[in-house]
Amino acid sequence: MRNGDGPLGLRAKGVKVTLGGRTVLHDVDLDANPGEVLALLGPNGAGKSTLLKALAGLLPYEGCVEIADVEVASISPRMRAKRISYVPQRSLLRSALSVEEVVALGRYVHGGSFGGISQSDRDAIDHALETAHADSLRDRIFTQLSVGEQQRVLLARALASDAPILLLDEPTAALDVREAMAVLRLIRTLAERQHTLIVVLHDLADARSTTDRALLLKEGRVAKRGSTAEVVSPGPIRDVYGVNLIENARIGFEPAADGTG
Amino acid sequence: MRLYPLLFSLLLVAGVLAVLVGSGDLADPELRDTFLKLRGYRLAAAFLAGAGLAVGGVVVQGVFRNPLASPSVLGTTAGASFGGQVALLAYGLGGIGGTFVVPEMLVPIGCFLGAVAALGVLLLFLRITQDLLALLLTGFVLSALFLSLSAFVTSIAQETWELGRAVVSFSLGSVSGTGPRQLAFAFPLIAIALVACWFWGRSLDLLLSGEEEAQAMGANVGAVRWWSAIWVSVLVAGAVSVGGNVGFVGLVVPHMLRPFAGTKHQRLIPAAALAGGIFLVVCDIIARVIPSRSEIPLGVVTGLIGAPLFLLLLIRLRRERAYA
Repeated sequence: MRNGDGPLGLRAKGVKVTLGGRTVLHDVDLDANPGEVLALLGPNGAGKSTLLKALAGLLPYEGCVEIADVEVASISPRMRAKRISYVPQRSLLRSALSVEEVVALGRYVHGGSFGGISQSDRDAIDHALETAHADSLRDRIFTQLSVGEQQRVLLARALASDAPILLLDEPTAALDVREAMAVLRLIRTLAERQHTLIVVLHDLADARSTTDRALLLKEGRVAKRGSTAEVVSPGPIRDVYGVNLIENARIGFEPAADGTG
Repeated sequence: MRLYPLLFSLLLVAGVLAVLVGSGDLADPELRDTFLKLRGYRLAAAFLAGAGLAVGGVVVQGVFRNPLASPSVLGTTAGASFGGQVALLAYGLGGIGGTFVVPEMLVPIGCFLGAVAALGVLLLFLRITQDLLALLLTGFVLSALFLSLSAFVTSIAQETWELGRAVVSFSLGSVSGTGPRQLAFAFPLIAIALVACWFWGRSLDLLLSGEEEAQAMGANVGAVRWWSAIWVSVLVAGAVSVGGNVGFVGLVVPHMLRPFAGTKHQRLIPAAALAGGIFLVVCDIIARVIPSRSEIPLGVVTGLIGAPLFLLLLIRLRRERAYA
């Protein structure tokens, strides 16, 4: 296992985020543990991605977010990035960097300014590419890859940093079924390797199949928390999404009769 | 790596040509040494200015994540040029500097202040919008503003013939009058800033993915932006103090290089320094050989090459973004 500081969990208490004068997250508590995948669920605009960015230290917040009893906001971007790796839904990278060069960016926090790639950097890059099943893409140009391939490379970049905590923003959005399954399997593998994972997901079936616990958000507040099986169940889903959950071989949805939610 | 042998060979050829080509006759034994010395200074000035402007281009393209950015497109060169002209004017009319600083230092200082002012305004503006068009328009407005301020300085400078000529020649871009003392001040400025930019190279690589991702990967984005702006200002100040207002080098050279040197900054920056130097030495040779009553200003040559390339890039970029 490559996992810089050893397993680390993340705890948040009373997190409040105000953007443009509007409070978009109210008083959110959360804890995520090594070896576990925590899902952030909720309709569009519920505040899932905002919460994820606040946890990653990318947005100003009130309240506290702690890793091993250290407040995230009080540590330097470099130290933070050694512990938390944030994977966006899509990268804004438009330059012609190869996959290997993109993954090498993840090693920034470990390198000196001289920028040479050391043997341990090389090992970490190889290991990350292998884990994310992106080894065969190594010499390809990142911007020329499919969305699914790009997502795997972004995960490899996050893994290359050796950060024990991974925050993933809708990693399966815009992926086809096969690509999505590959990413979800990878998420499970990482949990088995004692990473702490917090994952924003839209697909509730994916959440049920892949995550251990879930936080269901509605209008910036926690509507339900618990095991994913408890959270993705008829009552909370009806309250938050206004749809009925049909338990079947597959999960399907229909509008709630009274239109609540 | 085959890029560097190629660049050094080109530099050698350009250097030899720069010494041999020109209106003076090297066969005259009395004047040969003087000609060689003057052409040597000229070669050094063109190389330094080209290196500084090209690396300035690489860095601003990284900071603004925009392949169309360059010190001249963003108004930084015009700002530096205006600053340099004000310094010339202050020295020429007011005699400022004689007691505290040597006159050769005044121009680089003026250039630096002008460049910092131009880039500072642009960075502040970037906090409001990151739109490509808005960025280019702001650069255009800054350029226009500094050019009109320069015109005002030029009109004041006409009071004395010599000063007027110095100020005009500065705004047109030229390395023909550069002497050893100016080179001695510009060289350390450009050399230090080149090394500093190289050190920021890894952080600039992260910025290619945008501010948020760079921050998530551990970059202190604010520090990268401001330090890059400072070092670009030093580079442009050094370059403009020996070459005047020479445009488009920072646009043309990085684009010519990327297919060979790649996108990573620590590889691109040294190559851009060499290639930028060669490019401006060659442009200066062209300025000398084109038949004309007097020598064509260097800024005119780079403009004639750079402006069409800028338009081509703009068309290509808008097409790519439209279909992205």
